[in-house]
Amino acid sequence: MDRDIVEKAARIAHLDLTEEELERYEKDLTEILDYFQMLDEIPGEDAIGFNPLIVADVLREDEPRTDIKPDLLLKDMKTYDDYVRGPELS
Amino acid sequence: MKIQDLKTINERYEMFTSCSDATETGCEFVFSAKDNLTSYDFETCAGSRILEGYRPPFDATAISKMREAGGFLAGKTNMDEFGFGTFSANSGFGIPKNPYDLNRSCGGSSGGSACAAAVLEDHVSLGVSTGGSIVCPASFCGVYGIAPTYGRVSRYGLIDYGNSLDKVGVLSAKAEDLAKYLPIISGKDQRDPTSCVQPDFPKEFSKIKSVAVVNEAIEGISKDVKQNFDESVEKIRSMGIDVEFVSMPVLKYAMPAYYILATSEASTNLARYCGMRYGQQDGDLTLKFDDYFTSFRSQYFGDEAKRRILLGTFTRMVGYADRYYNKALRVRQSIISEYKKVFADHDAVMTPTMPFISPRFDEIQAMSSLDIYKADFLTIPPNITGMPHMSVPSGYSDGMPIGLMFTSDHWNEDYLLSMAMEWEKSFDMIKPEVKV
Repeated sequence: MDRDIVEKAARIAHLDLTEEELERYEKDLTEILDYFQMLDEIPGEDAIGFNPLIVADVLREDEPRTDIKPDLLLKDMKTYDDYVRGPELS
Repeated sequence: MKIQDLKTINERYEMFTSCSDATETGCEFVFSAKDNLTSYDFETCAGSRILEGYRPPFDATAISKMREAGGFLAGKTNMDEFGFGTFSANSGFGIPKNPYDLNRSCGGSSGGSACAAAVLEDHVSLGVSTGGSIVCPASFCGVYGIAPTYGRVSRYGLIDYGNSLDKVGVLSAKAEDLAKYLPIISGKDQRDPTSCVQPDFPKEFSKIKSVAVVNEAIEGISKDVKQNFDESVEKIRSMGIDVEFVSMPVLKYAMPAYYILATSEASTNLARYCGMRYGQQDGDLTLKFDDYFTSFRSQYFGDEAKRRILLGTFTRMVGYADRYYNKALRVRQSIISEYKKVFADHDAVMTPTMPFISPRFDEIQAMSSLDIYKADFLTIPPNITGMPHMSVPSGYSDGMPIGLMFTSDHWNEDYLLSMAMEWEKSFDMIKPEVKV
């Protein structure tokens, strides 16, 4: 895993890394991925499951209801007129 | 135990990130919970500075079920940031200490829970396992710990690490507590669809009659753990249980497949932490959108969290996903198939829990990231397959506990629980000397 790839992954993940971090993660991740090359030896099964067990879809009636009161959800959030505050989009 | 005593003990062991100020009255029992399980009455940070100040408005299902059963939540236990670690040394809030030697690790990532279970009288703690985070600390702290089948306990209110891997379980110094409290926190919960396929928890527990010992699991372990394991095999035989040595060569692929899946899932789950809604929100709102998010994440995520985000982002990137993420999904199925073959003839698989006794903190500092990931090679296979597994204390080396791990087929936790209670009858537990 070279420096360019580490920088690209950091950019995608919204991480601003220092020079020291870039060097360290490049070294660590290269060592880790070299070890992971052993996966090339095994084909694995054709079936792909995203969970280790079959998961059931559980759907309720599509009726509006209050789960947690909005004022409780908002109590520790930075808000303005009950809207969550964030940076400008521009 | 009075709450003040709890706080004094915590000053020595640092197992709690927060303890109750109230005195328990009229409760049936006292429990604690890993700090990635939300609770309305405690700050919940999952070991991360980025969540500092977060007070959830609701309880995790596992915690609410313990309260409904008469439990008093005494505190939230310290852990590796978001569960990212084997030694609980990656917390943003201090490092819990091993009750048998303060210079050694509790194990991770439910280290605080294992420490609390070992140190406090009549205490049960809820832990969470993704790749071994219940049985590892149970082994290092000399207590019993069980991680159930994936989906047995609702994940509602659990701060996600890896959605397809996370499991809520129980740790205690008493085997009977596992049998008592795991059924309490289990059950279907419409707030977590993965809990809704489970069969009912059996009222009567089946007993293990035959175990498979995995040859590959006893290679590369320390001499003292090997000697203890050999003694444990003889003890199991003396209990009238058949023991057969089997080969499961596919298990060597479990570690890389696990770290790819776990970090892939973690890197997407952690996208939600951006300086809005939860925890730290004190940023400069005049910054550009992307710069605002980046500044928070860069400042407050710890070293191992960043490493796992980078790894998980990379393994899902266009051009690499087939080789890593998609491959890991297929390898997981191969490992499940291998286990199913063994369970056709045996009730459980038995291995040591960890390849060595708890290391000293200076030894941990000298380990590379890969060395630390490799230390999980025994606990990862049952975790990546979602199979229930349990560590029981099996002996001591230089005064430090050693653990023995049993894995059973999906939904067969009852085999493990009956084993724990049978094992406890003939095991002489040496409790740590608790100094206040």
